Amino acid sequence: MVGRKKRKGNKTVVNVVLGIICFIWLLPTLGLFISSFRPAADILQTGWWKVFPHQEWKAGETVQLSKDVDLREPIEVNGTTYTDDQLKAGVTEGDKRLVWENRRARTINMQERGWEVKPDFTLDNYKNVLSGKEYKLKLGDGSETVQKGTGLSQAFWNTLTIAVPATIIPVLIASFAAYAFAWLRFPGRKTLFVIIIAMLVIPIQVALIPILKDYTALGLNGSYLGIWLAHTAFGLPLVTYFMYNFISQLPKDLFESAFIDGASHFTIFSRLILPLSVPALASIAIFQFLWVWNDYLVSLIFIGNQPNVQVMSMKIADLVGSRGNDWHLLTSAAFISMLMPLTIFFLLQKYFVKGLMGGSVKG
Amino acid sequence: MKNAVGRKMSLLLVLLLSFTMVLSACGGGGNTPKSEPPANTGGNNQGAANEGSSNENLSPLELALKGEYKGTKVTMFGPFVDADQVKFESSIKEFEEKTGIDIQYEGSKEFEATINIRVDGGNAPDIADFPQPGLLASIAKTGKVIDLTNILDQDKLKANYNQSWLDMGTMDGKDGKILAGIWNRSNVKSLVWYPKKQFEEAGYKIPETWDEMMALTEQIAKDGDPAWSIGIESGAATGWTATDWVEDIMLRTTTPENYDKWVNGELPFTSPEVKRAVEIMSDIWMNKDYVYGGTKSIVTTAFGDAPAPMFTDPPKAWFHRQGNFITSFFPETAKVDEDYDWFYLPSIDEEYGKPVLVAGDIYAMFNDRPEVRAVMEFFTTGESIKTWVQSGGVIAPMNDASLDWYSSESDRRMAKLVQDASTLRFDGSDLMPGKVGAGTFWKGMTDYVSGTASLDDALKQIQSGWDN
Repeated sequence: MVGRKKRKGNKTVVNVVLGIICFIWLLPTLGLFISSFRPAADILQTGWWKVFPHQEWKAGETVQLSKDVDLREPIEVNGTTYTDDQLKAGVTEGDKRLVWENRRARTINMQERGWEVKPDFTLDNYKNVLSGKEYKLKLGDGSETVQKGTGLSQAFWNTLTIAVPATIIPVLIASFAAYAFAWLRFPGRKTLFVIIIAMLVIPIQVALIPILKDYTALGLNGSYLGIWLAHTAFGLPLVTYFMYNFISQLPKDLFESAFIDGASHFTIFSRLILPLSVPALASIAIFQFLWVWNDYLVSLIFIGNQPNVQVMSMKIADLVGSRGNDWHLLTSAAFISMLMPLTIFFLLQKYFVKGLMGGSVKG
Repeated sequence: MKNAVGRKMSLLLVLLLSFTMVLSACGGGGNTPKSEPPANTGGNNQGAANEGSSNENLSPLELALKGEYKGTKVTMFGPFVDADQVKFESSIKEFEEKTGIDIQYEGSKEFEATINIRVDGGNAPDIADFPQPGLLASIAKTGKVIDLTNILDQDKLKANYNQSWLDMGTMDGKDGKILAGIWNRSNVKSLVWYPKKQFEEAGYKIPETWDEMMALTEQIAKDGDPAWSIGIESGAATGWTATDWVEDIMLRTTTPENYDKWVNGELPFTSPEVKRAVEIMSDIWMNKDYVYGGTKSIVTTAFGDAPAPMFTDPPKAWFHRQGNFITSFFPETAKVDEDYDWFYLPSIDEEYGKPVLVAGDIYAMFNDRPEVRAVMEFFTTGESIKTWVQSGGVIAPMNDASLDWYSSESDRRMAKLVQDASTLRFDGSDLMPGKVGAGTFWKGMTDYVSGTASLDDALKQIQSGWDN
């Protein structure tokens, strides 16, 4: 009895700690989410938490100073003297605060605390991001035309066109490879495997320029094929290693009985390995998909910024303008680009559970 | 045994399957667009350079306008994105329609990071647009930039550009000096913006000299406001606004030759000339009564947010020194010539006249084909930037760009300021090598302003960038 109680107590502590950690992790996302619905001017001026009811100093009585007061000397207000710096920052007196209202007009405000909510929300950020910003152009005769920029839709499809094959190809190749490394006996198997694992530690940056040179010679720059190959190559070592770890742990008896039943390697792979490794496939596919979806560097080098092939991450970066003048748009752009990975995650999550619950060998 | 054969067969099958999969992936990519330029006909040598103009003595541009290069493509790569890209593209639209040449512009915020990789990877665009001549200079040294001396008509160039622009486009090539690029768009930096209406209502007068400006600053402080709004925060580029100030003051307190030496690293940051410039700047920056939010806020205020206090009613700050591009950060409701205007950052030492600090975009050519030549020649004409000039925010460096094109009095005065300048110098930090100009110079100024380093230490620290 005592033991059970203790365990229960432990559980509450764990839950509370988890709750706190989750909250801390989610807080920035919540802030971003709220900001994405705020008007640009508000984002610049106040924090997102100001949309909740909060206490703020509100303008109250105004004290007018006479014209000949030297502002840099101590200033007397209602019998007390304050320095200029104090009045700039605001001095609290009881439930009131003295602060410059307009130093030029020599007015001091006696503010009072009060509750305030700022419920200004707008969809403008999303509109600008999704359907493109509007630009004003002046023509020679003084007239103005408005041009509409492009939205995210083209970039979204481009990214999808890149991300889906760039996930499926490496995962498939790696599964074949993992099966071969785990269950086939061929010369140089260990050496090959070590080489592949060694590839994990090589940063992709060192490969960029040599590959770019080859791509230029082959005419692969700026094409989907080129970027699929690049992502496949960069992703393969990790995916192979991951799949190997899973496939090599499957019970040997399973394959032996399949062999006795006359199954070929291909049958074993397609009928046994693939269905059994769904949980592993799903998790590594999520990893690879996220990596390709969020990729900026590889696309920057091999795809470039032509609108017909440009990916979302680059389009979003360009939305903020040459000098970063529209950075508030990043809030809504971030949420839009987040949608796809989240969808994929929640769709595949089902398979995680299924694969884990099903177990590999029955009876 | 049978089993082993079967195993081998399946292995083969697996291999085959994976191979076909890769192949089918290739097949899918077959119809993807390729922006591969055709074979380089002219090559990098200048021997064939005059063949274009020898053709009935017409220049490439004239041939292009006759429809000679219809259906050809010219790739361009540069840092314009967003609104700038739209303005640029509408400026070249008419040319594209008339000639049938398709200029494929690719804008990227990562231009500076990417152009070196593209050139090294053999994937250079036909024309690249450099916002920093220092970057072009380092690529020109490798011999990969085409010398424009024999490609463009030099007399026409001389007639259409102030000599300073041509000098700034001349750089060290692989063997000797080359004309590495031509200037197409420029920004003026020596400007102080102010809220016009309130400024006049308060009875202030535009200062003609530095002393008058300081007196006015003091006057405004007495009247109750800090005069200047300054912000140098800009993410990883924090500090660049401060370098502009130092450059502007350097031009006003020492000879242009000294400025050039300073930019080339021959005059150290620790020399009295540079120190004096920073000290003059500090008279404003380090006085908490003169700066909106006090000195401490300079480092934490984003350069784009800095002008905001000028547009409250009444203004909380009155002066903001920044290039003409800053107007894109002004509130949309504020009207040029009415709500805001600018005055020239006054001279300090009379003997150095009226120097103007400029920045701009230099276009360089990487592939020599007739249609690329035609486009390059087009970029030396004011026509190539007309729509942009009319829309505001840029100054055309060409002489054939008419002052009538500018749609606001403010822009027109700027263009005139550049034309009448006694000395024209380019933004120094953009000319210095990246390690200094976009490295220790930014960082040293930030450290000095935020108070983590004394002036001497900061200058020593900046100078150390040259040694590494």
